[in-house]
Amino acid sequence: MRKGTVRIFAALIALALAAAPLAAAPKVKLTVWYGVSGASGEAFKALLDKYSTANPNVEITASYSGNYSDTATKVSAALVSNTAPDVALMAAGPLYTGGNGDFYMESKVNESSFKKSDIFPGVWEYTKFNGRICAVPYGISTPILYYNKDLVEKAGVNMAKSAPKTWNDLYKLAKLVQDKNNAAGASISGFDVTDVGWLFKTMLNQNGNNVINVKKGAVSPAFNDAKGLEVATFWKRMIDDKVMAVGQHSNAEKAFLSGNVAFLVATSARIAKWSKSATIPVSAVAMPYFKKPSVALGGNVLVILGKDKATKDAAWDLVKFLASTENQTDFALKTGYLPIRKSGVARPEVKQIMKDNPMYAVAFNQLGIAWSYWHFEQMGTMDSILWEMIDNIERGTMTPKDALDKAAKDLQNEIDS
Amino acid sequence: MKNSAFGHFWRRYHIGTFLLLIPGAALMIFPFFWMALSAFKTSADVYQYPPKWLPSSFKWDNFAAVFSTIPFLRFYLNSIITSVVQTFLIIMISIMGGFALTKLDFPGRSKIYTFMESSMYVPEVVTMIPLFLLVSSVGLVDSYAGIILPQLSSAFTTILLMSFFSSIPNDLLDAAKIDGCGYYAILFKIVVPNSRTAISTAALFSFLGAWRSYMWPLIVTNSVQLRTLPIGLKYLVQETSSEYQVMMAASLMAIVPILIVYILAEKEFVQSITLTGLKS
Repeated sequence: MRKGTVRIFAALIALALAAAPLAAAPKVKLTVWYGVSGASGEAFKALLDKYSTANPNVEITASYSGNYSDTATKVSAALVSNTAPDVALMAAGPLYTGGNGDFYMESKVNESSFKKSDIFPGVWEYTKFNGRICAVPYGISTPILYYNKDLVEKAGVNMAKSAPKTWNDLYKLAKLVQDKNNAAGASISGFDVTDVGWLFKTMLNQNGNNVINVKKGAVSPAFNDAKGLEVATFWKRMIDDKVMAVGQHSNAEKAFLSGNVAFLVATSARIAKWSKSATIPVSAVAMPYFKKPSVALGGNVLVILGKDKATKDAAWDLVKFLASTENQTDFALKTGYLPIRKSGVARPEVKQIMKDNPMYAVAFNQLGIAWSYWHFEQMGTMDSILWEMIDNIERGTMTPKDALDKAAKDLQNEIDS
Repeated sequence: MKNSAFGHFWRRYHIGTFLLLIPGAALMIFPFFWMALSAFKTSADVYQYPPKWLPSSFKWDNFAAVFSTIPFLRFYLNSIITSVVQTFLIIMISIMGGFALTKLDFPGRSKIYTFMESSMYVPEVVTMIPLFLLVSSVGLVDSYAGIILPQLSSAFTTILLMSFFSSIPNDLLDAAKIDGCGYYAILFKIVVPNSRTAISTAALFSFLGAWRSYMWPLIVTNSVQLRTLPIGLKYLVQETSSEYQVMMAASLMAIVPILIVYILAEKEFVQSITLTGLKS
């Protein structure tokens, strides 16, 4: 071979080697932690895989980080050691973004492609810290009033005509169903609830109380006013008249499924399972209310924890994909969480599900009255304080007023410390 | 009653002791008994009230569901690897540390003992974040070493072994020195063989602790491939539903290694409890 030809080949090879890194676009690496397991975990993982397939230049490393509290522990440790994931699906996400002064998402959700106004307004409150958005809602649930169809029918009640509107209506109905079934030899309670704090907060808001006050960023308890006392007094009445059992809430779901409770307030996330394989015939009606209809939100949100702008922007692209109408609705239908977008609820498959299963209609219709207080640092402690307060009221160790005042004082001490 | 035939019968056959121990044993065994039966129940059996004692039928469906729901064998393997390695290393370190603190004389010995003992009063959760910072700074996050190494310090096993080492006569060790044995030979040829009961007990406690460890492996691992069994069992607790009968099946399979280790170490374990009451 001539020297000139060899030189040309050598030059071409050198050029190819130099250009190779430029030809292949650099891969963006994103770490994603998700705090949901089972069907929810599988559905979320499937969406991440779908994104990876559509975006081959993005490499996603996803892992289940434990349940909500375990994920919070992991994220806390990871933030301190600068090993936090870029995206996390977790509860109380705003505490780890807004609570650290990171409001990156506040401007991003206003992008026209994200369609912020398509998400139910009350749901946005669940993503705020100090009044500012710092997360995107995702696996959202609300409390639902379920009932045992058999027990209600045996009491001669037609729920289509007699569905309770107010809590007083529910009290009378639960008592009636309980008395009639027990007179026939059964041993049931009229009503129970799985998450007492969640329902109590729902009731507070229905009665015109917002649980906490926020003034210039300072949080203080508000649940021990006259409106809060009305709610606590009603709760005690349910206990004193034996419509609700004392301190059995951790067993409430099991008792309901074994046919020993007529009405149960539990998460909407149970609809999918109980529609297929409940041991009793279950249905649901709209949540009763005090002065105005309202339900408190629960569930998880998407947060971006990455530090540099390029990673954050790449993470935002993933979050937008996950929270799109098609993908978030798909996630909701597979898991029992709720669609967060109005366009999601309007989709034909969702309308069909609402038609086929009235429980879904109840849950989805409640999205319009969903409410949340803003995240604050001591909100987890507040839930524990409320549980203890309700326990004191139920067991009669404190009057409702004393229990409310003590709980407010304990929370204020926690905030001040 | 003291001198009657009934009293004699009562004392001879320890009736009072058995009347006390049998209900106590039943109370201790009942949760395991309930777990074993629930592993074979259907969802309807689990939620029934009054509680259904026996399953409707003995089927293995729940066990199959465990394997199809989570990578159970992978979690099992990870738990075996980390528990066995961790137990071995803890015992080695505790043997050497216990021997040094009991039989060797060096400056600061009592202070080291006090410092080590005081570490037992610090809750694990307090040290978790600083430990994680340390582990992540040396790049051990998401590795077997990251799970095992931070859990090797065990003041409890060291102090347990020290109480047995101190009962070995110093004359025996002096005789070995005269025969030309160095410290390692004294430790592994004289002290360890004479402390088999204590070492078996310490190994049992260490293995139990390692097998049950949940929080640290959760914090230090991110990939599913490295997760251990306690974390895997938590995968079965779902936000939207919990199949208790499947969890019971998984739990029943998870306690098998502990039972095996206990059966192997039972003789020494009972002996060590007996010996703690005797003077040397």
